[in-house]
This record gives sequence, C-alpha cells and structure tokens, in this order.
Amino acid sequence: MKLGFFVGCNTAFNRPDLERATRYAFPALGVELDDLEGQSCCPVWGTMPSVDLVGWCAVAARNWAIAEEKGLDIVTVCGSCYGSLAETRYKMLTHPDIKAQVNEILKEIGKEYKGTSKVRLAFNYLYYEVGPDRIREVIKHKLEGLTVAIQPGCHSLWPSKVYVDKEEDPFHPKVLKEMCEVLGATVPYYSRLLDCCGMGAMRSTNRERSFSLFQKKLVSIKEEVDPDLIVTGCSSCLIQFDTAQEFLRKDREINFEIPALHYMQVLALCLGADPEQVTGLARTNVGQVVKKILEG
Amino acid sequence: MSSAQAASLVINLTDSEPGFADEIKELGGEELLECIQCAKCAAACPMVLAGFSFFNKRIIQAILLGLREVLLDDSSIWACQSCNRCTEVCPREVNPFEIIQAMRRVAVREFALPTMSIEGLKSLYDTGHAVYLAGAGNTRAKVGLPEKPPSTVAYPEALKELQAIMRKTALADLGIIPMNGFGVADTCEV
Ligand code: SF4
Ligand code: SF4
Repeated sequence: MKLGFFVGCNTAFNRPDLERATRYAFPALGVELDDLEGQSCCPVWGTMPSVDLVGWCAVAARNWAIAEEKGLDIVTVCGSCYGSLAETRYKMLTHPDIKAQVNEILKEIGKEYKGTSKVRLAFNYLYYEVGPDRIREVIKHKLEGLTVAIQPGCHSLWPSKVYVDKEEDPFHPKVLKEMCEVLGATVPYYSRLLDCCGMGAMRSTNRERSFSLFQKKLVSIKEEVDPDLIVTGCSSCLIQFDTAQEFLRKDREINFEIPALHYMQVLALCLGADPEQVTGLARTNVGQVVKKILEG
Repeated sequence: MSSAQAASLVINLTDSEPGFADEIKELGGEELLECIQCAKCAAACPMVLAGFSFFNKRIIQAILLGLREVLLDDSSIWACQSCNRCTEVCPREVNPFEIIQAMRRVAVREFALPTMSIEGLKSLYDTGHAVYLAGAGNTRAKVGLPEKPPSTVAYPEALKELQAIMRKTALADLGIIPMNGFGVADTCEV
C-alpha cells in the first residue's frame, strides 16, 4: 500500500512533531508514504476559496495532478486540507464546466486534472484499509486504564457528500472512538462532542468569541469526562486544544489543563516511536500521559 | 431596549440593492433562491453559538433583501468556519457555506477583505503556503525531519508553476496582492 502524504501548512511549520509521527506510523503499519514533491497549500478557506471558485479549484487541481500522475490517493492529518481537497474534487467532478475552466488554466503548466485520485483522512484510512485488528496486533504500548475525550473535527464529518469515507450517521461519529478503543483507551461520550473547537477563521476574526466557544467545549469535557488526554483527528483542532487552554488559564477562565495530542501522535507512541520526536512540540504538559502510554 | 438600540435593529429596505442576489449566484451561490429560511442551518452553526450577528440563515436573508452594504460592513462572514454543518442539514440543498464564500467573493471585489486574508494570499503566492513560519527549519530538524517540507518551499520549479496558475485566476485581475516581483514572505500565520 502506498499513499501521497499531503503535509499542509500547519503540520509542516507549526507541528512538525505531528508530521514526524505520521511518517513513523504509516510505514510501521505497512503503508508507504510518497512525498508528492512540489505540493502547496490546499488552498485554505480564507485564501483562494474566498476569492474565486475556479481559482480555488485550479490551485487545488495542481496538487491533485501531482498525486494523479503518480497514480496515488492522498492522505492528510489536517481537516482543512481534507475538506478543501475533497470539496474541489467534488465540485470539479459534478460541474464539468468548472473542470474545463480549471484544465484550461492548468494547460499553462502542462498539467491536467482528471479526477482519478481520492483524498483520505489519516484515521479513516487506517480504520477502513488497515483495520483495527491489524493495529491491535502490531502496537507495542497500550492506553490501558486511560480515559480519552475525542475531537474528530468538523471536516472529518461534513459535508458527507464530498467524502469517500462516510460515517453511518455523520452526527454520531464512531470511527475515531473505535480507533482510540483499539489502542486500549476508554472513550466516553460528552454532550459537546460535536461542537466546533473555534480554531481557524473564527480565531483569526475574533479571538474572544473563538475562545469562548472553545471554553464551552473544554468545560464540558472536564466536567463530564475528566480525561487523561484529548485526542484530535485534525491538526487545527490540535493547535486550538494545545494553545488556547493557556490563554484561558491566564484569563482565569479555567484552572486546569488537559493534555492534547493528535491521533497520529498517540498511534506513533503506541507503535514505539521516540516520544521527543513525535510529541516534543506540545505546549500542554503531555509528559505524564506519554509516560503512562509507554508503560502500558 | 432603548430607542437608539431598537433603531439599529430596523432594516431599512430602501437601502436594498437590486441585482445583489444575481451577483451572489454568479460567484458560486447558485442555490440561493432555494432557501426557505427554515433556520436548520442556524441551529447547527458554530457562529451562532459564538454570538456573531450574521450567520448562514441571516446572511441569506440579508442577501435576499438586497442588503449589500450591511453585509460589507460586518466582519461575520470572515468568521465562518467552513465546517459545512449547514450544508449537511439543509433540507433544500442550498449549500449555505458556498453562499458565504460567494459573499466573501463580493467583499473581495470591493477590497473589503481582512488583513489576514491578504497576508494569507501573499504568503500563498510567495511561498506556496498560506501559513508559513520562516524559522521552522530548526524545529523540523529537532524532530528528525528535513528542514524543508517536500513542498513548493523545497521545489522552486513547483512554486513557479503555482504562481503561473494564480496569475491566470481572478486574483490577478483584482490586484489585491503584488504578483510580478519575487517577494520573499516572512512568517505568516492566518
Ligand atoms: S439555507 Fe437551508 S437550512 Fe438554512 S434556512 Fe435556508 S433552507 Fe433552511
Ligand atoms: S460552514 Fe459556516 S455558516 Fe455553515 S455551519 Fe459552519 S460556520 Fe456556520
């Protein structure tokens, strides 16, 4: 099995430990990662998508063409990359006129968008293609006795029509929960599980409102689950959970901290990766929980 | 409520701009007129939960009433999380997310876009990444990765391709960012 790894911006520059974790975990599970040399930003919502529909698709189509030329599907650990790439694919395949205009632009660089590759989100791909049983067999450490609160991320679920991997019910997601249970964790439900974390456009536009939205969610997690760890399926959610808690504590809005990691980081730890390399850039204090995982 | 507060909530329909709905439809909000204002999208929207004055249903309502200036004067559209909860639940397949994007496209054509978007576009054009940290090489090396990711930052030919594409899009006609020189972007976090 081989996939094109779409690194994206936040993972490459803000959380390279997550990139490292991804590059560790996939091969350890028998999936080779290709670099998709020359890839760019997906492009993310506040840039080309907010300027022009065809221009958005054209920038994404160059990324798509790199994967298509290699005959590979794309995998990403970022919800925004996943969403933007899946949306553009859906738009180009359902609107031949958009696809034609995009290909007119791509001629400029001698490329063409065909629509032969798909994009998968890392934990979904592992669930559907590698499978919980295989993962259970290979892991060296377990989250035995640990309680986890999950944050699947908006783009892992909606709009389900643009994604290849669909939850049975996109408002009652199960995949990330099962994937954490496979690692041995207890994964209780909490009432704000589906809420948005507030990262991204909202945080850039109005930080106060973004943080207040985040706080509602975090408090629901603390009061209803009180977990050892928050596990996200998306790199943007990771950044919000990892950085916003500190602001809320400084503002005396909360008096606790819950460590946060991306699913691929937890998986890499369970597969035996060096904790410094795959979680070393966390701002929340993950030391204790990492130690417990490595003992488990 | 004071009368001044109440007055600010009154919608002045004489401000209505004809043709606004068509503009939105042309810029990607094709299904605008399918909306029945049922507010299912609003019930699912994080912008509502966070307290923004305009969100999917209200933005559509304002568009249908022709209130172009009202929307241009409000920053709510830029806080949309692109989460597509609204698209998922809408019973009329309106795709409210795309209508908000279309409204952003209207705003961009009036140069009414936030600095973060201009910076993001510049950074995308100059480096291939909307979010770019000039000093990330060290941190990358520390966790055992090459200093540059295998993207446009490591492949200058690929960056030139991306720039050639961007110059062929509506962005070039709008003149929002410089596209001739060879700017070298510093850090950009949008
Ligand atoms: S966009 Fe759809 S969900 Fe929202 S008010 Fe209109 S019809 Fe209802
Ligand atoms: S895509 Fe935007 S408008 Fe729709 S539910 Fe999400 S934040 Fe609200």
